[in-house]
This record gives sequence, structure tokens and C-alpha cells, in this order.
Amino acid sequence: MASNKLLNGKERGKVTKKDIHKMGLYSVIEQSSFSFERMQACGFTESMIPTAKKIFKDSDEDMKEFMQYNMEFMNTEMHMATFLMGIIIAMEEAGEDRKLIEGIRNGLFGPFAGLGDAIFWFTLLPISAAICCSLAQSGSVLGPILYILIWFIAAISRIWFAEIGYVLGNKAVSSISSYSKYLTDAAGILGVTVVGGLIPSYVSFAFSDNLVYGIEGATVQSIFDNVLPNILPLAFVFFIFYLFKKKNANTIVMIIAIIIAGIILSFLGWM
Amino acid sequence: MTITFMQGILLALVAFICAVDKCWEAFYWFRPMVVAFFAGIALGDISLGVKCGAVAELSYLGLLTVGGTVPPDALMAGMMTMVIAYTTGQSAETALGLSLPFALLAQWYGIVCNSLFAFIAHRCDAAAEKADTKAFRKWTWSGVFIVAIGYAVMVFLCAYAAQSAIQAFVNTFPVWLVHGFEVAGNLLPAIGLGLLLMVTLKKQNAPYLFIGFIMATFLDMPNVLPIAIVGIALAAINFMYNKKIDDTAAKAVVYDGGEEDGI
Repeated sequence: MASNKLLNGKERGKVTKKDIHKMGLYSVIEQSSFSFERMQACGFTESMIPTAKKIFKDSDEDMKEFMQYNMEFMNTEMHMATFLMGIIIAMEEAGEDRKLIEGIRNGLFGPFAGLGDAIFWFTLLPISAAICCSLAQSGSVLGPILYILIWFIAAISRIWFAEIGYVLGNKAVSSISSYSKYLTDAAGILGVTVVGGLIPSYVSFAFSDNLVYGIEGATVQSIFDNVLPNILPLAFVFFIFYLFKKKNANTIVMIIAIIIAGIILSFLGWM
Repeated sequence: MTITFMQGILLALVAFICAVDKCWEAFYWFRPMVVAFFAGIALGDISLGVKCGAVAELSYLGLLTVGGTVPPDALMAGMMTMVIAYTTGQSAETALGLSLPFALLAQWYGIVCNSLFAFIAHRCDAAAEKADTKAFRKWTWSGVFIVAIGYAVMVFLCAYAAQSAIQAFVNTFPVWLVHGFEVAGNLLPAIGLGLLLMVTLKKQNAPYLFIGFIMATFLDMPNVLPIAIVGIALAAINFMYNKKIDDTAAKAVVYDGGEEDGI
């Protein structure tokens, strides 16, 4: 349920339009320290921290929870990330249930990625590059200068993406607070469905075509593919999940193990 | 023409700045068009920089291929196309082809960084645990500087100090080692997704994971938007069903209560 109190019992702070604009601008760093494991989580969280401080003030408990759920896996198109930040900040400001915010965050970043890529990567980039290249091929400095200008505007447009997200989040907050119990479950369902869909695209676990067995020389990978394509990525994610859940596995040890395994598998020519 | 020490330093500075943007992909200064333009300014031949940028940029749009392949690292390809065209006097197209080993080197560096930055994510986790926003900022920014310094050093060595040595190094480098990091890079997201499942997966919503997984495996989709729409539909069904049950239960309670009060 929405509550105006922070975990330390004090009142929640308010964010101004200026704070939202500043967050939009700072969110150019959203892809800092990109890692294969958590992808954009570090930069995504860091972009929101200065604004979140205005809401949480000195409540370390709230800041801790906020940072922790935002450090979960994140990978989306960067402008859409800023849009999502606006929604998250609006909901945090309203004191919405964090389970609900977390569900919305995890359910939306994947689909937003497709939307953002369609706008910036597949439309703006080819058009701007084609125009600027035709100018630059004759040696005109107008080519690169126009290119820099177009993408400067695209980068700065994050300010509006943040604002649109914030306004939308605010509107949603007022209409959802009375249903928040059901919506938390619903957001969880959306999140888990999307995560299921992300597994085949983000985790690639396939043996090399050179790895064959038997006299007929069928590839090992074809055996798994005949059972169910992508069964190995799915099984691997569940294996990792099992190690976390039941064995309390240390993540650092697991990363080192995966890197070493990757190098060995590559050396043997299995993958 | 040869590159002087000062020009080498200037090129390293350009590489540093553009590599910061390569991490962010915010201002598109990591694209060959811009990198080669800046390199042209550093070397005092802007017109050549602009031409090299255009050629390398086109190759990254898939409009122009070099020996059938797209060169692997946009920043390094843009930089070295300019440097090679400037030093050897070759055409921009030829220089782009010769930049390939350097771009490969940069791509390997990127893969290794993205694998090892999992450790930065864990320093950030530790900072989040203590709500230590200062340490969090420090670690998040550290990855950017590591990448940028690496590019600056690579470009300085490739352009000024050891162009032919680097080329030889790339040609003899064990490919399985780099490929090993690639394999690991394909497997590492499983940790991120596993951690995500730790917080989202419950007994009640586990079946939905398989709906998303089967859709992504068997349907040819440009992105996960269709899965999200199915997810929203399923969530809406669940929402309405649960609310109906609770409403019916609430009515029953009110009815029972009413009767008791009446008597």
C-alpha cells in the first residue's frame, strides 16, 4: 500500500521538475561499467541516486532497498532507460509498494528496449549517417558537424524522456494505489513472463558444430536441439538459480568459474 | 607522413574522450565519423579525417564491407583508418581494410572488460548493502575510466610507438583465449538472470516463465514486445480473477455479519 512515511518514520521528500530534468541529463552515463552479468544495472542505479536522495533524505534503509532492487539485471535502450527512471522516481515519490515498482521495472525494460532500438538504432542512425556520409565523402566538414549535432540533440532529449516517464508514473500512481495488492502480483507475472523470453536471447549455450559423436557424426548440439531448442540456456539459468537458492553460492566464485570454463571449452574446441 | 610524439599524445586524448562515450553510447562520439574527424584535427589534415570517417562509418551501416566482413570495433576502426591513411598515403578504403587487426584488438579488450566488470557490479552490490552512495558512484565511474585509459594506451601504441609490433601481436594471438572470453560472455548473463529470478520467481508465477521462454524459442520476433503483451494479458486475467474472488468473499462476509447483527 502507498504510504507517505519513509522507513525511518519521517515524511517523504518531493522532487521538482528541475530534479527530473537533471536526472535526465545525468542519465547519459546509464551504460557505465557495463558487464555481461548485470549489463546496465550500475549506471541505471547511479543515474537515479541524486534524485532518490531528495525523496529518501537521510533514510539509509530506503536508499538501501532502492539501490538493491535497481542493481538487478538491466538491459534496455538508453533513452527508454531514462523514461523508466522517470516512472520509478514518480512511484518512489508517491511511496508505492517497492515490490510493485520492482515488478514494473523488471517487466518493462525488455519491451522498452525494442521500442527504443526501433527509434534510434534502426531509424535515426541509418538516416543521419547516410546524410552525413554523403556530405563527408566529398571532404566537407559539414558531415561530421551535422552528425555530432544530431546526436547531441538525441542525447539531450533524455531530459524529455525523464519528464514524460515521471508524468506518466504520477498519473498511474493515483489510479493504481487502491489496487496495489493485485497489481503487485500482476507485475510479477509480467516480469517473469518477460524474463522467460529473455533467456534465449541473452544466454547462449551451444556446443560447436565441430563437436560430433558416433559413427554418423551427428553434432552434439543437434541432440539437444531435437529435444527442445534453447534447452541448454534454460537449464543453465535454472542451474545457476538452484546454486543461489539452495547452495547459497558465492557469485564471485561463479563468475570466475564461468570465465575459466569458457576458456577451457574454447581451448578444447567444444564451444 | 610520420606521427610525432605530440600527435601521438593528442590521438590518445581523442581516443580517451571518444572511449568514454563508447561506454555510454550517448553522444555517438565513438562512431567512426566523429573519431576520424577528431583524429584529422589532431593530425592537421581535417579533410582526410572527414573522408576516412565517411568510409568507415558506411562500413558500420552494412553499406560497405571490407573483404566481406564488418570491422569489429567502430572507434578503433575510425581512428586507425585515419592514422594509416595519413602515415602511408593509402586511400581511405585501403586504410579501412588495414585497420582490421587493430579493431580486432579493441574488440577483444572490450570483451575482456565486459566479463571482468562483473566484479564492479559486485562492489556496487556491497555499496548498496550499506546505502553507501559515494562508493557506489566511485565504482560505477571506475569502469568508464578503465575502458577509456585502455583505449588511450592502445591508440598511443598503435599510432605512435609500435604499429607493426601490434599488428604482429594480433596475428599471432591465440584466438581460443579471446573466444573463451566470448563463450564466458554468452554464459555470464545467466548469473544476472538467475539473481533476477531469485527475487521475482515464486511458486504461483513460475508457469509464466515457460510461456515466455517457449514464445521466444519458437516464434520469430524482432524483440520481446509481443511477449510483454502476452505477459500483460496474463497479468490482467490474473488481476481480474483474484479481485473477483476477493470481492465475492468480501460480500459473503458482509452478508454473514449483517444477519448476525440483525438477530
